[in-house]
Amino acid sequence: MRPLTITIALILLLPGEAVAGEKRPDPRSPDFPRYVMRKLDDLYRGASSQGVMEMKVKTKHWSRAMALESWSLGKDYTLVRILRPRKERGTATLKARNDLFIYLNKTGKTIKITSGMMGGSWMGSHFTNDDLIKHSRFARDYDIKLSGQGEQGGAKTYRFTLKAKRDAAVVWDRLVVTVRRSDLQPLRQEFYDEDGKKVRVLTLAEHRDLGGRVMPLRMTMKPTDKPGELTEVRWTKIRFDVNLDKGFFTLQKLRSR
Amino acid sequence: MRLTRMAWRNLGRNRRRTTVTVAAMTLSLMAMILYSGLMTGYIRGAQRNLLDLQLGDIQIHAPGYRDKPSLYARIEAPDRLVSRLRGQGFRASAYLLAGGLAAAGDASAGATFYGIDVKHVATVSSLPGQVLRGEWLDPRRPRSVVVGRRLARSLEIKLGDELVVLTQGADGSMANELYRVRGVLKSVNDAIDRTGVLMTEEAFRELMVLPEGAHRVVVRHPKNQQLEAAVARVRALAPGLEVKTWRELMPTLASMFDTVFAVMYTMFLIVSIAIGIVILNAMLMAVFERIREFGVLKALGMGPGKVLRLILCEAALQTGLAAGIGAALATPFLIYLARVGLHMDRMAGISVMGMAWDPVWRAEVSAQTFTGPILTLGFVVLVAVLYPGIKAALIRPVAAMHHR
Repeated sequence: MRPLTITIALILLLPGEAVAGEKRPDPRSPDFPRYVMRKLDDLYRGASSQGVMEMKVKTKHWSRAMALESWSLGKDYTLVRILRPRKERGTATLKARNDLFIYLNKTGKTIKITSGMMGGSWMGSHFTNDDLIKHSRFARDYDIKLSGQGEQGGAKTYRFTLKAKRDAAVVWDRLVVTVRRSDLQPLRQEFYDEDGKKVRVLTLAEHRDLGGRVMPLRMTMKPTDKPGELTEVRWTKIRFDVNLDKGFFTLQKLRSR
Repeated sequence: MRLTRMAWRNLGRNRRRTTVTVAAMTLSLMAMILYSGLMTGYIRGAQRNLLDLQLGDIQIHAPGYRDKPSLYARIEAPDRLVSRLRGQGFRASAYLLAGGLAAAGDASAGATFYGIDVKHVATVSSLPGQVLRGEWLDPRRPRSVVVGRRLARSLEIKLGDELVVLTQGADGSMANELYRVRGVLKSVNDAIDRTGVLMTEEAFRELMVLPEGAHRVVVRHPKNQQLEAAVARVRALAPGLEVKTWRELMPTLASMFDTVFAVMYTMFLIVSIAIGIVILNAMLMAVFERIREFGVLKALGMGPGKVLRLILCEAALQTGLAAGIGAALATPFLIYLARVGLHMDRMAGISVMGMAWDPVWRAEVSAQTFTGPILTLGFVVLVAVLYPGIKAALIRPVAAMHHR
């Protein structure tokens, strides 16, 4: 297990040119699905960012809005801190490689999220802790098939169906991923469990070119079994290529306000 | 009266025979009394463990809660419901339940939070007495909690240590709080042992941002009332809520208890039959040894009814003697078994179907512990003496006097 983790980490740390430099294959080519997935896997690799997002969570019993500040370095390091509501200000999540920590502002304590709690809700949203860690890779852990083409919001799309490989340690058994034809930006992901039931749907919208980097500013997660519930995350501010190194993503930083 | 005196004298005439018969009865009676005490103790103990500690007799939930426990599936105005129940002679207490995370040091584990009405919980549950180390909850100290045994072990927490809990409040907020561990529970059941974090109702409401409602009301019915009658009354008092008896909540355990009862009674029957045979033998001997004597009595003009009555009277006197001696001799043993009990240490800490078993097997004594075996003895003696008695009563004097 250990060597594998390190290998994965090394793969993730490779510079991004691997895909970027590759020529986009013809959609009819058998290499095409894997190419697209590699591109999705590596979307933000190597990038550092700092930004502020609004998170709206709506459930049957309550709805709330939060403002979060986020720092990230590649896919391995993320620090998210609550700015609003005031009561929870300072509560923060640190992802460093495969570990996830939560700092609780009220008690001043840090909790490490163990594997048993990965399926739990992240900051009370419809995202799970595992979504943050997500060490699975589409291109490596799934068999990919181009399963259709269509249109979404006026943009032509490709639809891919991903089926988990037998020995892959992944949460979802099947994924349906829709990307925009023009620039292969993700638009929609459907998550299916082992019984083939659609569990939740993630939609990505408001793609913007931010200094040469295209990214969706709005993400909405909807659980299928709870109609009407959703979590929407929208970036209100984001900067790329900020000066951050691994030393920033420490427990000390997690605890400081 | 003369008959009784005659019977008494008859008993005195052959002291050895009387002694042997009475001794057989006494020993049998003692065995039955002790067996009955232990048996009642075993079944009551197991049931009490189940009902007193965790289930109660009847539980009330909001509809759907048991299928899908949710913080929001609440019983509205639980205080009113509880006081209505109390007004009708029931004992009742409300519980609040929620899931979350408990952490101490680097370790963390899934936890179930129990908000407990400290003032009333003791009327429905023996949980407050199940503290292994430390102390039970104190409403004046809402920042201290009592935790399950295995949770304490897996988080490596000791008394006085800090425990961080993290969960989602009813308003969606990231509820988190720091508590002190005030007590560690004995083995109660799998759920509480592994995940239980018990706190005062007030602390729970504050943590979960839940000012209203409760998730479960545990009800105990008066002792003189049948479960079925009680549940009907509770249903009438809790309209729109799901009211279930412990038998409906734990059908497997309920049927297991029934089986245990059946097994125990079968054993009781077998013991009684074995004892019956011993007594039958003694009574047969006592009558047939004296068959010529009865022949003489009949020859002197004693009617068959009177002969039978004489024999029955002798048997009754012996039974009375045995009952007195047996009960007196069994009492110190019973006191020992009830107070100290048998230590089944090898069973300690095991749980059956998620329910912890008390490692000490104690007898339980009531009037029935004595009356049951004594009545059984009386019945067995009556049956045992009837055959030789009738035989002696109906015998022809000449044949009897020639009997060898």
